[in-house]
Amino acid sequence: MGFDLQFGWTGTVSEVVLGRTRAEGGTRSVSYRIGGGTTLPFLDTDRPSPSPLIAFECCDNPRIWSTIVRDYCGDLVNDPAEWAKTAETVYGADMVRLNLTSTKERNFSDVAALKKTVESVLSATTLPLIIEGSNEPKIDSEVFLACGEAGQGERLLLGTAEASRYRSIAAAALAYDHSVIAQSPIDINLAKQLNILLREIGVARDHIIIDPYTGALGYGFEYSFSAMERIRFSALKGDADLAMPMCCAPADSLTIKEVRDAPADARDEMAVQWEVYTSIAAAVAGAEIICVRHPRSVGVLKEAFAGLKSHSHSRTAEVR
Amino acid sequence: MTDVLFAKKAGEELLKTQIAGISSTFSYDETAYHLPVSYSLTGIAVSDRATAADVFARMNNNPLIAAECLLAEKTATGGREPAPYTGFIGDTVIRKLGYSLVDGSILGLALIVGKPESAGGAAAICRELQEKYMLTFLAGGVIPSLSEAGVKLGLEYRLVPLGSTPLYGIHFVDIIARVAMMFGGVTPGDAHRLLAYAAERAKAIVIVFPGLSDEEIAFVDGMRVLGFPILSLTGYEGGEWIPATPDTVVRTGMEKKGIRVNVTAIPIPMACSPAFEGKSIRKEEMYVEFGGGRSPAFELLRMKNVGEITDGQVTVIGPEIGSMTEGTANPLGIIIEVAGKTMKKDYEPVLERRIHNFVNYGEGSWHVAQRDIIWIRISKEAVAKGVKIEHIGKLLASKFRMDFPQLLDAVAVTLITDKDKVLVAKAAAEKVYEERDARIKGMRDADVNTYYSCTLCQTFAPNHVCVITPERPALCGAISWLDGKIAYEISPSGANQPVEKGSLINAQNGEFEGVNRFVKKASHGEIERCSLYSVMEYPMTCCGCFECIALMLPEVNGIMVVNREFKGVTPSGMSFSTLAGTIGGGAQTPGFAGISKNYILSDRFLQGEGGIERLVWLPAQVKDELKPRLLPLLAQRGLPDLFDKIADETNATTIEELTVFLEKVGHPALTMKPLV
Repeated sequence: MGFDLQFGWTGTVSEVVLGRTRAEGGTRSVSYRIGGGTTLPFLDTDRPSPSPLIAFECCDNPRIWSTIVRDYCGDLVNDPAEWAKTAETVYGADMVRLNLTSTKERNFSDVAALKKTVESVLSATTLPLIIEGSNEPKIDSEVFLACGEAGQGERLLLGTAEASRYRSIAAAALAYDHSVIAQSPIDINLAKQLNILLREIGVARDHIIIDPYTGALGYGFEYSFSAMERIRFSALKGDADLAMPMCCAPADSLTIKEVRDAPADARDEMAVQWEVYTSIAAAVAGAEIICVRHPRSVGVLKEAFAGLKSHSHSRTAEVR
Repeated sequence: MTDVLFAKKAGEELLKTQIAGISSTFSYDETAYHLPVSYSLTGIAVSDRATAADVFARMNNNPLIAAECLLAEKTATGGREPAPYTGFIGDTVIRKLGYSLVDGSILGLALIVGKPESAGGAAAICRELQEKYMLTFLAGGVIPSLSEAGVKLGLEYRLVPLGSTPLYGIHFVDIIARVAMMFGGVTPGDAHRLLAYAAERAKAIVIVFPGLSDEEIAFVDGMRVLGFPILSLTGYEGGEWIPATPDTVVRTGMEKKGIRVNVTAIPIPMACSPAFEGKSIRKEEMYVEFGGGRSPAFELLRMKNVGEITDGQVTVIGPEIGSMTEGTANPLGIIIEVAGKTMKKDYEPVLERRIHNFVNYGEGSWHVAQRDIIWIRISKEAVAKGVKIEHIGKLLASKFRMDFPQLLDAVAVTLITDKDKVLVAKAAAEKVYEERDARIKGMRDADVNTYYSCTLCQTFAPNHVCVITPERPALCGAISWLDGKIAYEISPSGANQPVEKGSLINAQNGEFEGVNRFVKKASHGEIERCSLYSVMEYPMTCCGCFECIALMLPEVNGIMVVNREFKGVTPSGMSFSTLAGTIGGGAQTPGFAGISKNYILSDRFLQGEGGIERLVWLPAQVKDELKPRLLPLLAQRGLPDLFDKIADETNATTIEELTVFLEKVGHPALTMKPLV
């Protein structure tokens, strides 16, 4: 190569650990150390950039989940533990993202059941977990306390902190040593502001993942791409408050018109294509974690990333 | 009366001998932090006389260390006290407590020691602490006294009975020490960080009833190093304890420590959310209206001293909505009084502007304009649901507290509907408006060393940086220098940051070394230089929100300005929207600048190009709008006839017509130094 692929950058993306193996005090079969990048992904440099991790998203109440996924997965969607296990053993995901969608039910109050769900998923899969807690500020405090406690020692990734509500999630991360997803609405300055707020409350930089928010390809993703690119440029130029790994969840691609209106026999294919291409764009923009909802997207993405340039993440595997 | 200083001295001596008298070994279960206070301060695990004496000496005979060691020994030899006393609380519970503190469901911690004279008084204090989301720990005679009064105790009631004597209050300190180590990143042995954490982050207060012994006084006074206010009710004098009465002790303590209660719900029979902000109330939907030129109405926000107003108080002077005739315009005065330790008089107008948003948040209330030209409507639907004038006051009081929790401790609202009283209060308000205008008007760029940035628009214009000075408002016209300053003070990590002017590079163009440095960083290295007053050389970047565009017309050696509302083609051959598309997006485009309307009136307008004499064309609408202010200003600058020499679309729509017009009137720009 005739030119400098570091572009004179001096910054490094901070490293964040996801999951804890038995040797590290948890029960996962693997833990990941993501981040550490010093240039853009998929460039042919001395220090190869790893492929993003693929997290499969499941939920504990499928009522509001995509019907395409529901139809594809069948009865599994009613059993989050079994679903999570399938994500590991059949779909081949690197992580499981459990969305506690039951908290979205009107007047939800059964926090004890949530705790049980988290525990059952933790014992059903050996993969590191992302837990998406409440969507209702009023119950945040109880929900995140329950999640934090249930996953003590497992170094969960807890979501999702926003500028207007981050205290409970930060408290859970601090109390039980988890990491947090910090989401801002496609805006580099708000992303930075939230990271500063989290830092002020005591969450260490190596416990934060930025979620710049992802629209579907052709439906606003170009904004996400540009926000991600700029976040990463800032990180590489030395802005420590933006130097965190990024996480992208192109869940919106399952609800766009093209997918909704696709003929029944082409619907899955259409959903996978949109989810995959949005994900690839997000990976190219620098995302270290990609969260997908269609089971078939996992395999397609793995292959695509391998084609882009395959080097595995530094991972600590359990010796079995 | 016990003299605190005297008792403390005697108590410290006593504690010293007691430490020397420790004979057995001791430790706590259920903790990884040994004796937490000693451990956090020194990093040493205390377990016997030798280690206790060592730590005590290292910490200069600190009574907190003495209390912790003595109590640990006593617990080890005598066993734990029976229920309801909790004694030492294990790490698992502390982790949950810490969680609630970080997450804000507990606002702060209080310790009550001593024996109250009356059980009822102590109960009232505890109730107030419960209502204010404080977690209260109790030690000594206060506990039986509360039980007697029938007050329920326990963690679930946020009243924790630690032990039978005030010395058990040390567990309050060991909890804070552990929270600091678990949540605050304090490493054991880093006494400096622990003290800083306790003083700045731990929201703790101590309330002292009478009857403390000398050692107990020494222990309680020892907590002052942690920055906790010690509030004494009766029976003590001297020292640095704060005297208080049962009625005020909680409020005083919370204020001293800056603990604020957050308002979460607004108690009115109408939904309230930014979602309703854009909804207008048409004439046929309206029940009553105020102002809008149909009846006298005004709004005013004033600062008061803390303690002068009662938080949440809403007063209506005059008839309520029930006695107003449907469909009529009625007089209204809105007076908002606010108080807060960090509130400043300068913030008044900025906060006052929020009345507009807040009233519009109401599902059935609508607000336009400001000051004494406001226009408010309340919908029929809202009135049918029971909304009264009073509720508008409650909405305002709550929203101000919710949105400015760091700034405001108390908000009181007075609504006047009595016509004569509105007229009197309005005249007084108008005086205040005048004073305010005079204050900002007099401000010059040269008077301040700090300007403010605005990067709100980086969402869509990634490298755009507005630099706002007293004489150059943001190009959108929405943020003045004062607004930027206040926004920064209220939200220090927000989009408005201070910009140190630094040394002067070019006085005429308004280029400063500090501004350049800031702009380079905030534009992510894209923009190297920025001149504040020039359109031609290194002009400020443009996002897309500019009220007007200023651009050079080389053919006539002048600069034209076009506003967003102007729909036609300008003499430049382009319409506003074409121009906006060319220069927006955060780029720096020499020859073009985005500006606010009011900037045209500024002495710094086009300074780099020789001043307002360069202005050759301006749409008639803007000309008319600015005329009353522009004419005297031009006269002042010795250019009384310039106004009529500035062309508009009525006399020049093309560059050729403009050239003819300018030559005919003898516009000064034609003979000025060439622009290019």
